[in-house]
Amino acid sequence: MAEEGKKQLAMVIDQERCIGCWTCAVGCTQINNEPLGFWWNRILTTAPNELSGSENSDLLQGPASENIDVPSGTFPQLEMAYLPVACQHCQDAPCLKVCPVGATFQRDDGSILIDYERCIGCRYCIAACPYGVRDFNWGEREWAPDFTVGYGRDWRVDDGRLVFTPERPVGVVEKCTFCVERVDVGEQPFCVEVCPTGARIFGDLDDPTSQVAELVKEDGATQLLGELGTDPHVFYLPVEHERKLS
Amino acid sequence: MSAAEGAARPPASRFALDRSARIWLGVLGVIVLWGLGSWIYQVAQGLIVTGMRDEVLWGLYITTFAFFIGLSAGGLIMASGAEVFGARSLRPLSRIGVLSAASCVFVAGLQIIPDLGRPDRVLNLFLHPNWSSPLIWDIIIITVYFVFAVVDLMLMTRRSGTPGARARAIRIAAYIGLPAAVLLHSITAWIFGLQFARPFWNTALMAPLFVTSAILSGTALIALVALAAQRFGNLSLPEATWSVVRKLIATTLAIDLFLVAADYITILWGNVPRDRAVLDMILPGGSWQWLFWLEWLVGGLVPFLLLVAPRERRPWHLGLAGVLVLVGVYAFRIELVVGGLLKPILWFPPGVALGSTNVYSGSFQLTGSYHPTWVEYSIVAGLVAFLALLLTLGYVWLRSLGEAEEPA
Repeated sequence: MAEEGKKQLAMVIDQERCIGCWTCAVGCTQINNEPLGFWWNRILTTAPNELSGSENSDLLQGPASENIDVPSGTFPQLEMAYLPVACQHCQDAPCLKVCPVGATFQRDDGSILIDYERCIGCRYCIAACPYGVRDFNWGEREWAPDFTVGYGRDWRVDDGRLVFTPERPVGVVEKCTFCVERVDVGEQPFCVEVCPTGARIFGDLDDPTSQVAELVKEDGATQLLGELGTDPHVFYLPVEHERKLS
Repeated sequence: MSAAEGAARPPASRFALDRSARIWLGVLGVIVLWGLGSWIYQVAQGLIVTGMRDEVLWGLYITTFAFFIGLSAGGLIMASGAEVFGARSLRPLSRIGVLSAASCVFVAGLQIIPDLGRPDRVLNLFLHPNWSSPLIWDIIIITVYFVFAVVDLMLMTRRSGTPGARARAIRIAAYIGLPAAVLLHSITAWIFGLQFARPFWNTALMAPLFVTSAILSGTALIALVALAAQRFGNLSLPEATWSVVRKLIATTLAIDLFLVAADYITILWGNVPRDRAVLDMILPGGSWQWLFWLEWLVGGLVPFLLLVAPRERRPWHLGLAGVLVLVGVYAFRIELVVGGLLKPILWFPPGVALGSTNVYSGSFQLTGSYHPTWVEYSIVAGLVAFLALLLTLGYVWLRSLGEAEEPA
């Protein structure tokens, strides 16, 4: 039961506004000092409104192309949309259920975090995640530039659990933290801050006056792969305009 | 221990190993040390020295882990089958069976360690268990199963107590061992089968499939060990025992392939692209079709015919069939572990971030690929050699105790 005054962090991503520029993804790698080859946040190229696999959609059929920015369909009946995907901070998170040591845990505000000092590196969570948003520290990492960038300090929550550190230990899993170290001091996640088209909205789902609550409850923002029942805290607003050439 | 029994004990010289046995053990020891050295190298460098990345995130280690777990089945099935189902002709294999069960499950437990990114934190599994994780269930059942197999082996080799009491203890152990074995294989199956993020894994058939393939591969291993003991040791088994072993392998092979076929047909008839994605890569014509041929032809039809067709039975028929069955079951493990990871549900470009980058492959992968490295082959070879070492030494020890007595 939700306690009085308890927050439920949520993000709404407006696919109508997203232009696939990858600013949020690059910003994410910068603020979190992600090594080369790590992307907590990716921008997938899809056909419009491919959030659910329950219809005869590209989500089931496979992509139109192996490359990004390639529309699906036959000319001139072409259509395309962008699907930014980072950790969905599921309410019923499969990664949390499979973690044998409870290194992945959920905070009261709904965000899913990883305790970098507890993780044993079995990678079961990566296998269990339907969204493919977790990265493993396989070994010696490279950075470009080769010095620490972004939010450069450790961040601990809930009795000292280390949920962010500029250089994660080798052999542990990492992923999007909803920018816990920024949110906890009243700032927005960095991807929300840097998005040039304002496609990302962040707030408290339990506050009925918040913009995210309004978008979810009234404007029909929906969850990615909602049919799996993971109940993400990230929602998507559909593409409304037809984007066909004809 | 009575004086009569003491006098009947075999002389110490039965511990003695001839020259070929010493060479065999020496070679195994070198491979074990090579594997250990490779693991130390891996610990120093991180798992980056393996072929695994964020898309195919489990490889040879987990494949071999599942394979070892399966191998451990044969033993307790043999020993328990002799008692629970009254298959008396299996009784001469009871002790070798339980020895192999204990050895295989022990090596399976060890095989988890090199897969961990932080082996130094392995105790977290016991300090901070998360009860909803099938991995924790598996750790528990592996531990219980190992302890049980060791106790069972002690019961079978002890010389105190009346023969009647000994027989009763073995019989009780058999009734515990059978459900424990089924549980071990089911839980290992559920590590994969419960994951809805991987459609190819997410089938209720997974547990029955694991139990069947475990009995299949485990019995094949016992057959090979018994053949080796007959050829190089002093074991001599009646034709009735070999006949039951052949029938057991042939029958479980047929059931195993039937279950796999039932899974394939469900996927193919449903024709849901998300489910077909992986299967299409494995079926003939796909890029992983070698798995299909290993499973159905090399490890399926050929050993089945070797077991049932010849009018005149020769040991090499069973030996070759046993080896091929193990090849087929290993192919099934690869198909399952690696195959299930080849296509993510969100299969859109650019794909999954790999967690490392290089100038040729970039940072992303749309369809998974996996090529094990020499480190992975070395560590797995080291553990296989360690298993062979345990089985050899265990057999020599059992032989030194003399023939298994027939319980009253």
